[in-house]
Amino acid sequence: MAGGLVRRQPDHVDSKGATVIEVRGLTIRYGGTLAVDDLTFTVKPGSVTGFLGPNGAGKSSTMRAVLGLETPDAGEALVNGRPYTDLRRPLRTMGALLDAAAVHGGRTARAHLGWLARSNGIGAGRVAQVLEQAGLAGVADRRIGGFSLGMKQRLGIAAALLGDPAVLMFDEPLNGLDPEGIRWLRGLLRSLADEGRTVLLSSHLMNEMALTADHVVVIGRGRLIADAAMHALAAHFRGDVLVRTPRPDQLAGVLRAHGAAVVREDDGGLSVRDLDAAEIGELALAAGIALAELSPRGASLEEAFLRLTGDSTEHRSGGR
Amino acid sequence: MIDVIASEWMKLRSLRSNLYLLAGSAAAVLACAGIAFMIARGFDSQTPDERMAFPGNGDGVGNGIAVAYFVFAVLGALAITSEYGTGMIRTSLAAVPRRPVLLLAKVPGLAVVALVAGQVLAFAMHAASMAVLGDRAGQVLRDGATLGTPLSEPGVPASVVAAGLSMAAVTLIGLGVGAAVRSTPGALVVLAVLIVVLPTAVRTLPMPLRAQAGSFMIENLPLQIAGAGGGTLPPASAAGLLVAYVVAALTAGTVVISPVGHRVRMLVVGVVVAVLVSAVPAVAAAPSGSGSTLSWGDCEGENLVREMRCASIEVPVNWAEPAGRTIELTVGLLPATGAQRRIGTVFAIPGGPGGSGVADLSASAGSFAELRGRFDVVSFEPRNTVDKGVLPYDCLITGPWIGLPGSRAEYAALGRRNRAAAERCRAADPEFFDHLDSASVARDIEAVRVALGEERLSFIATSYGGVPAIAYSRLFPARVRAMVFDGAANPYQDRARGRLPHEESFARFAAWCTADTACALHGRDAGAVWRALVARADRTPVPVAGEGVAYSGFDLKQAAAPSVISPGPAPEFPRWTELAEAIARADGGDASGFADYVRRSAKSPKVPAFVGMSMTHCLDGLGFRDYDEYRARRRAGERLLPNLAGIELWHPLACVGWPAPATNPPAPLPAGELPPYLGVGSWTDFDGTADLVRRVPGSAAVQYQGYGHGLYNSGVSCVVAHVNRYLISLRLPAPGTACRAAAS
Repeated sequence: MAGGLVRRQPDHVDSKGATVIEVRGLTIRYGGTLAVDDLTFTVKPGSVTGFLGPNGAGKSSTMRAVLGLETPDAGEALVNGRPYTDLRRPLRTMGALLDAAAVHGGRTARAHLGWLARSNGIGAGRVAQVLEQAGLAGVADRRIGGFSLGMKQRLGIAAALLGDPAVLMFDEPLNGLDPEGIRWLRGLLRSLADEGRTVLLSSHLMNEMALTADHVVVIGRGRLIADAAMHALAAHFRGDVLVRTPRPDQLAGVLRAHGAAVVREDDGGLSVRDLDAAEIGELALAAGIALAELSPRGASLEEAFLRLTGDSTEHRSGGR
Repeated sequence: MIDVIASEWMKLRSLRSNLYLLAGSAAAVLACAGIAFMIARGFDSQTPDERMAFPGNGDGVGNGIAVAYFVFAVLGALAITSEYGTGMIRTSLAAVPRRPVLLLAKVPGLAVVALVAGQVLAFAMHAASMAVLGDRAGQVLRDGATLGTPLSEPGVPASVVAAGLSMAAVTLIGLGVGAAVRSTPGALVVLAVLIVVLPTAVRTLPMPLRAQAGSFMIENLPLQIAGAGGGTLPPASAAGLLVAYVVAALTAGTVVISPVGHRVRMLVVGVVVAVLVSAVPAVAAAPSGSGSTLSWGDCEGENLVREMRCASIEVPVNWAEPAGRTIELTVGLLPATGAQRRIGTVFAIPGGPGGSGVADLSASAGSFAELRGRFDVVSFEPRNTVDKGVLPYDCLITGPWIGLPGSRAEYAALGRRNRAAAERCRAADPEFFDHLDSASVARDIEAVRVALGEERLSFIATSYGGVPAIAYSRLFPARVRAMVFDGAANPYQDRARGRLPHEESFARFAAWCTADTACALHGRDAGAVWRALVARADRTPVPVAGEGVAYSGFDLKQAAAPSVISPGPAPEFPRWTELAEAIARADGGDASGFADYVRRSAKSPKVPAFVGMSMTHCLDGLGFRDYDEYRARRRAGERLLPNLAGIELWHPLACVGWPAPATNPPAPLPAGELPPYLGVGSWTDFDGTADLVRRVPGSAAVQYQGYGHGLYNSGVSCVVAHVNRYLISLRLPAPGTACRAAAS
């Protein structure tokens, strides 16, 4: 079932020649355990790509490999067609936030961004800009050690933005953010994508991704499971609505007339697809048909995700 | 790269903890001050002689250097381990993906901070040590150092600067270790082992190993770089080693941080650089000399100290005919202990003439203990050693009795007696007998120098050893690195004037008699009694009871002279006591008091003119030209020496009628070609020695304000200290420097 959601991707750069992240046949092994298993996918510009998978699926390993922090056992991870480690001033090409805690608590936010900027020949003015952008201007001269996880996430995001890069990559960026922060980040990611940048962010929560990503790459046990547009995925896994009524045949006719697929179930209930519960309720009311039950069934995106990856996690648990 | 270096500098600067760490290095200053305080306390509670046995505190930096190293090493290690500890390394590597660049970009910033802080700290440590020691710092010690060495001393600014530099080096070593270990606790353990545990362990090793291994410890490199001690390495090698340690540590760090595929290349480059920077200076500094051609073995003398090594060298009997007949001389060696970098060889020229330098060196080996930290000490049995065996020993240790000739006829008769005595000994080997002058001895020393493979020699010439030392200075001035005259015979000085210290001693003897009831002449004017006695004896010799001899005034003076100038230990002055009793008895008509102790040393009822001494004296031109010169000298002496006139004539009179010509008469020193000399002498032999070294520009002399002869060999601490200081560092004491006799 999932196989149909994997695109074939022959090129590392899309037709417009825009910057991309390309992972080709990536394999990373820790001791005897395969963390990433022949993984291939491409992240395109102009959209937010979600990188999904349960904990331990290999998301972070893949992202570290993109940054050259892991040496792959096979395959490669390229940014803009080159290994990240070949980039002279990499922060200007790609900004990344892998671990918000990967900072020295003794430095101030400004000093932390300061050395990062200097290392890539980025002017000091840019530091103030990203501090402002990340909402950290007020705490810029406080030491990072006293920051909450959310503030550290904002600092990490500010660091990623520092080089005004065309490619951005975030590992679980929403962790620790408060609702306001989450809203802010979603807006930021959206605007970055709208500016034509390539944005990849990972998460282990599908719901979260549903509201943020245009496209998702789903992996499980180091393998690619799905690589598809969010709406396609949503459509594929959308659930049905169970309707019970004393007049099933009339209702079925009304619903079909409005484009729904209706199946009569053995116990007399109707399984309705392509219309949601609210629409069904409206139509029933208009037709004067009483409803005994109206329940949307199963198949939220979260469930879809679990179904997609369930196999791989079970397998993994079984393998232990 | 510049951006990355600047970025690393910002990292370093932006952590307040680094500042606290540097402030913590002030503990090193406290350590220096604390140890200096304890030294000062101990020093104050010691006698002057014990103080001279203190080990020097040097520039004072060494006491706290381990503390400083540890702080700086931690600073260097934290620059990388804190990144691993916090995970920031991932952020850093994302910003700077070229891993070796990331590591090595930390070097300039750390180096600048550590260079500046290291210099500040080293000078603060030095200043603290010196301030606490105060005036005590100037105390000259037996090992030739002063208790503290101020910046005004050569080598000290260099050693303090080198100490500061070594702190910067240790910072980078810390960085390399930190990168290799990747964890702060792990790096601390490794660095503690390198900086504290290893040097401490080395100090527990047995001696030669301790010095050799100690030379390679980081903490001992600054002094070696400055050439101011610390170990056995030459400065260039020590500097190369310090750089090599840094390269090795950074190589280890770079290899570990590098991606797997690049490690071998990094390792090869690092190892090659480390080997080059350590080996090239070492090879360049390696001694170019051919080394000793002498084959050292056990000595034959049964009474020699165990560590004495002996070898023999063949020299021509007549240096004018180098291809002619040869004799063998025994050379003795007290080897350098290896505690410090060896400077060269000190050659101890024995006195006499006729003494064996090997026996003397063995007997006074203890006096050379400190000097042997830096030198091999060599002496030999000179060709004129009386028990050499070529000429009959029994013949050499005796000779004719000498009287003051009152006429040409008596002078001629003395000549005949002398000649007969000389010929008796000479008959065994006339050619050898005719080449026992001090210039031949000097040429023998030069042969030893060549055999030792030394470019130059340093000397301690004791007593009559001054005469061969002067001959050596004249013949081979370029081979003299340093020369110490210790109570040396002075062939240039008027002999009567040279006996003025005897008169001073006599005056002290007379004063003692006035003051001390132990003097048999107490209550009488000892000087007047003595002068009346010798005047009477010159007219009518005083008989020795039970012997067929009688002592003239001249005989009495000659017998008394050694006791006058060496009274024995205060306050008993046993030899003055003995002398006073002998005078009192002779005043009563019996000279046997003198004869008793003359017989003990000379095995003759009167002091004879030993052929074994004259055979060198006379060839060295000690004798009179003729009777007229004798007369003039005698009159001059009588004017100058109220109590002991005539004793200065003794040795010259022994040369009247000598069968061999004077081949080594006194001749001027090539003053301009010689390095400054050092003279040391006691109340009785200082003046002649001081006059001798005044003939070499820039020289200095130290007077020991007490009795004695051969002060260095006797182990007089203050003299040993000044001599060692001069021999080791060529630094001379200030004019007017004196050594007070130890109160006992």
